[in-house]
Amino acid sequence: MNVQFKKGVLDLCVLSLTAWEDRYGYELAVAMSSKFEVAVGSVYPLLNRLTQEGYFTTYLRESPEGPPRKYYKLTPLGHQHLMELLREWRTFSHAVDELIKEGVER
Amino acid sequence: MTREHYLNELWQQLAPVPEAKRREWMYDYEEHFRIAAEQGQPEEQTAAELGDPRAVARELLLGYRVEAASQGGGGVRLVSRAVFAAVGLGFFNLVFVLGPYLALLGLLLALWAVAGSFVIAAFAVLLEGWTGDAIAMPLAVFGAMIAGGLGLLLGAAAYKLTGGIMRLTLKYLLANTKMMKRSVAR
Repeated sequence: MNVQFKKGVLDLCVLSLTAWEDRYGYELAVAMSSKFEVAVGSVYPLLNRLTQEGYFTTYLRESPEGPPRKYYKLTPLGHQHLMELLREWRTFSHAVDELIKEGVER
Repeated sequence: MTREHYLNELWQQLAPVPEAKRREWMYDYEEHFRIAAEQGQPEEQTAAELGDPRAVARELLLGYRVEAASQGGGGVRLVSRAVFAAVGLGFFNLVFVLGPYLALLGLLLALWAVAGSFVIAAFAVLLEGWTGDAIAMPLAVFGAMIAGGLGLLLGAAAYKLTGGIMRLTLKYLLANTKMMKRSVAR
């Protein structure tokens, strides 16, 4: 996939994953790198930045398997940002689909 | 690379960051190794998936530098560190970013020096008028007022310009690092 294209989408994806439930870093890192060509270790700087920008809060929660894990929770601001990104993405992908239909699938 | 080795390397690379922040960042990677191990993944594989610790550290550091520079109100020292961090990450072309930045710094330095020398000249003229006999005192006071005024004006201009250039540099860095951090591609 085009690198340039992938850039803007990563924020949207990681915010989307936390829309309905809080997730811990490992889950997010593995989920992101399984879909995109992203080094697992690079997801944490991304999570850090989104936290710093106020889109996530973090907390520790006990896990059945062992020590507590750090969870990422979407804030109201994060939710708002996610909706904006989602709208942008829908408009964009809709436009691409239209053009593909017009050009390729006629 | 083993877990121990990986975390050590990352810890070393993050040396410029205050310890509290450094521990906070390390926690994510320690937890990652722990959970991967719980799922039965070998350490080496986890380390390989995480990616080069030096690259990870550079990504973390750049965000930190730019953040520090914008919180520090755009001081020359902090902004310069952020510029070097960005160039070090290889995202900016050395010639096209560092070159103009250094040239601007040189220009600012020259402006400050000129402003400073005008102020010094004002005092020198006064001293000459008072002790020497090349010029009379009233003339010396007049000259000193002109030189001092020019010096202060230039100083004010240099101050404004320095602030402006630092703010612009910072804006440029922020815009670019945001894009960069989205591109966490390997």
